[in-house]
Amino acid sequence: MKNLIKKLLVATAAASIVASAATAGDTPKRGGTLITALGNTPRVLNPAVQSGIVTGFPGAQLFASPLRYDEDWTPQPYLAKSWDVSEDGLTVTLNLVENAKFHDGAPITSEDIAFSVDIIKAHHPFKSMFAPVQSVDTPDAHTAVLNLSQPHPALMLAMSGQLMSIIPKHIYGDGQDPKNHPRNNVDLVGSGPFKLVEFKQGEHVILERFDDFFIEGRPYLDKIVMRIIKDPQARVIGLENGEIHLSGFESQPRNINRLKKADHLTATPEGYGAIGPLDWLAFNTKEGPTSNVKVRQAIAHAVDKNFILKAIMFDTAVEANTGIHPDSPFYNGNVETYPLDLDKANALLDEAGFPKDSDGIRFGLTIDFGWPGVKPQVEYVRAALKKVGIDVTVRTSADFPTWAKKMGTMDFQMSWDTVFNWGDPVIGVHRTYLTSNIAKGVWSNTQGYSNSKVDEILDTASKEKDPEKRKALYAEFQQIVAGDVPIYFTNTLPYHTVYNNKVGNPPLGIWGTSSPIDMTYLK
Amino acid sequence: MNNTDKNIVKARHPFTEAFEMFSKNIAAVIALIVLFLIILIAIFGPTLYPVDPFDMVWMPFSPPGEEGFIFGTDYLGRDLVAMIVHGARVSIIIGLSAAFVTVFIGVSVGAMAGFYRGWVEEVLMRITEFFQVLPTLLFAMVIVALFGASLTMITIAIGAVSWTAVARITRAEFLRIRELEYVTASRASGANNFILMFGIILPNALPPIIVQAALMVGSAILFEAGLSFLGLTDPNVVSWGQVIGSNRSYLLDASFTVTIPGAAIFITVLCISLVGDGLNDALNPKLRQR
Repeated sequence: MKNLIKKLLVATAAASIVASAATAGDTPKRGGTLITALGNTPRVLNPAVQSGIVTGFPGAQLFASPLRYDEDWTPQPYLAKSWDVSEDGLTVTLNLVENAKFHDGAPITSEDIAFSVDIIKAHHPFKSMFAPVQSVDTPDAHTAVLNLSQPHPALMLAMSGQLMSIIPKHIYGDGQDPKNHPRNNVDLVGSGPFKLVEFKQGEHVILERFDDFFIEGRPYLDKIVMRIIKDPQARVIGLENGEIHLSGFESQPRNINRLKKADHLTATPEGYGAIGPLDWLAFNTKEGPTSNVKVRQAIAHAVDKNFILKAIMFDTAVEANTGIHPDSPFYNGNVETYPLDLDKANALLDEAGFPKDSDGIRFGLTIDFGWPGVKPQVEYVRAALKKVGIDVTVRTSADFPTWAKKMGTMDFQMSWDTVFNWGDPVIGVHRTYLTSNIAKGVWSNTQGYSNSKVDEILDTASKEKDPEKRKALYAEFQQIVAGDVPIYFTNTLPYHTVYNNKVGNPPLGIWGTSSPIDMTYLK
Repeated sequence: MNNTDKNIVKARHPFTEAFEMFSKNIAAVIALIVLFLIILIAIFGPTLYPVDPFDMVWMPFSPPGEEGFIFGTDYLGRDLVAMIVHGARVSIIIGLSAAFVTVFIGVSVGAMAGFYRGWVEEVLMRITEFFQVLPTLLFAMVIVALFGASLTMITIAIGAVSWTAVARITRAEFLRIRELEYVTASRASGANNFILMFGIILPNALPPIIVQAALMVGSAILFEAGLSFLGLTDPNVVSWGQVIGSNRSYLLDASFTVTIPGAAIFITVLCISLVGDGLNDALNPKLRQR
């Protein structure tokens, strides 16, 4: 319901924007250079072999995918002018646009689609995206048929954003390792609206309009300069003084609130639904006191989400109650929640068989964290759990890989963690709950959570063709997980896109800046 | 006879003389008193003010003085007075023990080098130079990152990067003193190397080492603050640097959360430097007005 209202609001807002734009004569204009910021240096610019949001922004401009999504999670034609899913759900036919060309002038054909699927299947870390794709038939140059071993509804989202970049077979098919291919960063031949001018490690990525782009009249911008600025404070200053027009994935609450105050800037959390970033407190459900569900529920009752949202996130994030992002159509907010209730927490801990000793302590627990940005949350958990007699020790990790290793091998009791949904639940959600994915490295099922009912639901949902039935399955899944609390979901990550009001049509679809910005223009 | 008696100045005990010199330096005396108070707070403060510095006691960012919280509260609503009082103990313990580690390594290396000379000196001094050219903060960060951020490790890391100055001073003093007549005399009367080094030469080489050690306490506190500011600290204990480090992102909203622990570090280190300066006056014979 909340979602529906939100969508209506967005729709009316969009309509009014269109209306006011029409009256003000604010039609898209060609030309201009958009200056944007990247928070880190991408390893490579080719999203077919590299995941992550820093590769996503330049990657989605350089490479086109078969589909794109609008703000309402409806697939739209992009490289594929139309598509067709067979009745049994086992074949997906893509009809490609006929005038599409790579940046070197070679036509984009179904051969390239088949080749790209092979490369992504073999080298992209998200194995579940194309696992059921057994082969790709190419009956003619502009028709690609994906043959599936089972119905695979997640494929639709997996064919959009940065997840299915169409790369040229005549470049990457030369036998060199695609993950470290020399043409990933220099002399890059892409299929998207912009072509690469220069990529300088640690400095910038410069892109230029591709004149032969297959959508007539697009892109609007002549040039995009992506300045690589690691320091968030420096990006804030750049946005404030107008040096930077647009920056996506800004996540520091203090900075967001500061940027919101600037008259010439707009900071919005819209457009991250498919990225789906969630913050949560993870428990080791296999060992120690947290293997007892009552202990986990007690901890959930003792940790006050409102404190995290208000005092740590400064109202820039929203509450999360399940493992699916609240903006996703699969979100079910109607699950068991754990409002702050110290009496109940104490009662649950007593029931679980952990009475207080003479010092008022029940037992000790450790908590880990992977990066300095979440230290306030970790310190808060420590202080909050002391009130119910749990003595929490904070463990530091020298660097991210050290923490990732601890998580991947379940060498922890509690940890703060941030995990992305990545579009369809099959891609980014299942991995956290499947018994078959326990302790398979960081961001797998690091909680050791195992519930045969959940395994069954997720397996059925991954093959269910009917969207409504699928939604019901995920609704049930979210209810079960909320009761078992292998994870205490606290909030969404406050990702914001910040843009100068000179920017028209900023990328606020479901993929944020990890989507093509061919419709963005400068006023 | 009487005349000559009058003209002979009675030799006073060196400590009395040093104390007199020290008490003439007003700044050093005041600093010593303040330092004494800080040490009292470090020892008895946590007992007299038994608020757990990790407890959330009130609203975050409540300004100093409100609701009886003299220094206000930090970003999680923790009492800053408790953090300063508990932090004093950690900061001073780290300062003292790191200075001890520094003096221990520095004196051992410097004494060996200055006493034995020859290849021993060559080897030890090259090692000292090797440590001198390392960027100290980076090296300490590497040690802490590799072996974990416990208080012991932080102390060792600070000691390991800052002993070189003491080693060089000790060596210089040993080189000078080992040629003096009373050393030769002791050697002639059969004193072995160990007695010569630590019984005869070291006590006479101590004054500059003491001054250096006093200054080391101050720089170790600063060093610890620097490491904690960068997050390389044991998150389960409070130190002043850690309070600054964890509150620094709120500098513009609640500057007192950073300035109060900052002032604590500033005052302590200033006092230590002034006392060190006073000690230098008191122990350096060249400055003594006879």
